[in-house]
Amino acid sequence: MIRSLSILGTLLLLTALGCQEEPTGGGGTIDEGAITGPASPTPYALEVPDYFPAPVDDPENPMSEEGVELGRHLFYDAIIFSTEGNMSCASCHKQELAFTDGFGRAIGVRGEPGLRSSMSLVNLAFNPNGFNWDGGEQKLWEQAIHPVEDMLELDNDWEEVIRKLREHEDYPARFRAAFGIDRKAEISRELTVKALAQFQRTIISADSKFDRVFYRNTDFFTEEEQLGADSLFFVENVPPGTLHPGCGHCHNAPQFGDNQFKNNGITDVGSIYDFVDKGRGDITGNPFDNGKFRTPTLRNIALTAPYMHDGRFATLEEVIDDYAAGGHGVENEDPNITGFTLTDREKRALLAFLHTLTDESLLTDERFSAPE
Amino acid sequence: MKNLLLFLLLPLLLTTGCLDDDDQLDPLREGELALAYRAEYGGQPLDIQRKVYGYPTGDSLKVLLFQYYVSDLELLPADGGESIRLEEIDLIRRRSAAGDPTVERTYLVPAGDYRGLRFGLGVKPELNAMNPSKFAANYVLNEAEFWGPTTRYVFAKIEANAMLEDDGRFDTGLSYHMGSDALYTTVTLDRRFTVGSGRTPRLTVVADVLKALSGNGETFDITAPGKQTVHGGNQDVAVGIWNRLATQFALRVE
Repeated sequence: MIRSLSILGTLLLLTALGCQEEPTGGGGTIDEGAITGPASPTPYALEVPDYFPAPVDDPENPMSEEGVELGRHLFYDAIIFSTEGNMSCASCHKQELAFTDGFGRAIGVRGEPGLRSSMSLVNLAFNPNGFNWDGGEQKLWEQAIHPVEDMLELDNDWEEVIRKLREHEDYPARFRAAFGIDRKAEISRELTVKALAQFQRTIISADSKFDRVFYRNTDFFTEEEQLGADSLFFVENVPPGTLHPGCGHCHNAPQFGDNQFKNNGITDVGSIYDFVDKGRGDITGNPFDNGKFRTPTLRNIALTAPYMHDGRFATLEEVIDDYAAGGHGVENEDPNITGFTLTDREKRALLAFLHTLTDESLLTDERFSAPE
Repeated sequence: MKNLLLFLLLPLLLTTGCLDDDDQLDPLREGELALAYRAEYGGQPLDIQRKVYGYPTGDSLKVLLFQYYVSDLELLPADGGESIRLEEIDLIRRRSAAGDPTVERTYLVPAGDYRGLRFGLGVKPELNAMNPSKFAANYVLNEAEFWGPTTRYVFAKIEANAMLEDDGRFDTGLSYHMGSDALYTTVTLDRRFTVGSGRTPRLTVVADVLKALSGNGETFDITAPGKQTVHGGNQDVAVGIWNRLATQFALRVE
């Protein structure tokens, strides 16, 4: 009986071993490139409020406590990411501005404006539809590759970044803790952007007045805010003949942005071939996608001026006026851009409601701040 | 003897222990079924944005979006046995000008003779009562398809830009969004086919946007502003489109 059990045990062990993947590298040799210290990443439990959907999984980049912390250090590290030590991810994604920069078009390390506005980084874990204004990157961690090399952004090269990371007194141990690597030579571009993405996924904004009123029942709208919500933002039963579909049509709660690509009618061009910035069209190569950009979140919208992909509108009042004026009749405009009338009182109410989307706690949350 | 049996089991354990779930196909009992959802306009493949289509009032339009939910997609056995569930919920969508007018799905189904398939057009009431926070952000039931933050799903959308004057400009938006428990409709499509014995039938569910907008002797006037944006308010128009949409599906078997 004991023999049978031992054979059976051996069989099960063999079966289990048979399913293991091949070792991917490393080795037992200790040399000057070896990294010591903890190498067992602790799985990170993302805190998601029950009124949010479950985040989009990324099996290629499982989150760990150590990976998130490494990502936070990298996010704020200007020495590593810029040749002159004056610019990091946080330069264009400032916590106090809901991780935007206040510029119409992002200003790069050479002081030159980039092509588009810095997007807010909140709630990226819930985005199922690519990243950037044009959806050009499919994965969050892939998104971080390009800005390092873009002449109008960090204008660096990855070889230099990786060299600095490998020679750094602190980062090699952090990479080992986050990804279990054994040698400095294993610090790579991919691991670096994956750590950044892990940190970015933790930036969840879900504590605005809207959340407290709507989901938690711990606060109340003012009369003006309620009017903005009911009569203009969330309009379900549009009376016959009313053209305004409600902002919530594309900016529905709880994320307040459907992440789809649309021509929202803000650019007056003769044809779909005339857009200066083709947006989604440059990604798909299809002219009918020209002038289409992501519908971004409106969470913290009062903090993220100026507005649109190129910052063309300085204020929310200008944004509302432009939508109220309707589009420009370009054939790929979203059919829900129809123009509408708005009284001064309604406009104030809509603005008041938009201000309820500001999450004050996000702006000082130490989990998202620069490490000391 | 017991040891011999264990050693005989060894190769089997080593090989089957690493199989993926989807490798366990028994060709005698199961077969692959290819199901395509094809969109048309007036009997022609629907080309999103690229093609100009005529409308019975004499106007022209370009379609930008056509989508609908399918609930409880089921195969109906020919012997009257219990139906075979293929999918609880699916969203069939055409939105890209680069996209194919056909959306493909593949299922592994029991071998046998079937008399057709059945599905609910829309989101079935049990799911329609659940808000998107119950699901993952990339699930087909998500907030982008929700009427409002606490309401229900939009079962079907047809969006287009129309040219109402002969000026070459498709500058009038048409947007028809439909959905409510009352509108949920079961669609049964009868067509015999066999799965298994080397047969992998291809089924095509055809939906024609023109037949949804205009059919059965009914055509609404897209030049009337009150009939251009219908998001729950103008139910005369919405119910008309919905009923035509629900009754125009066809099933082709190859």
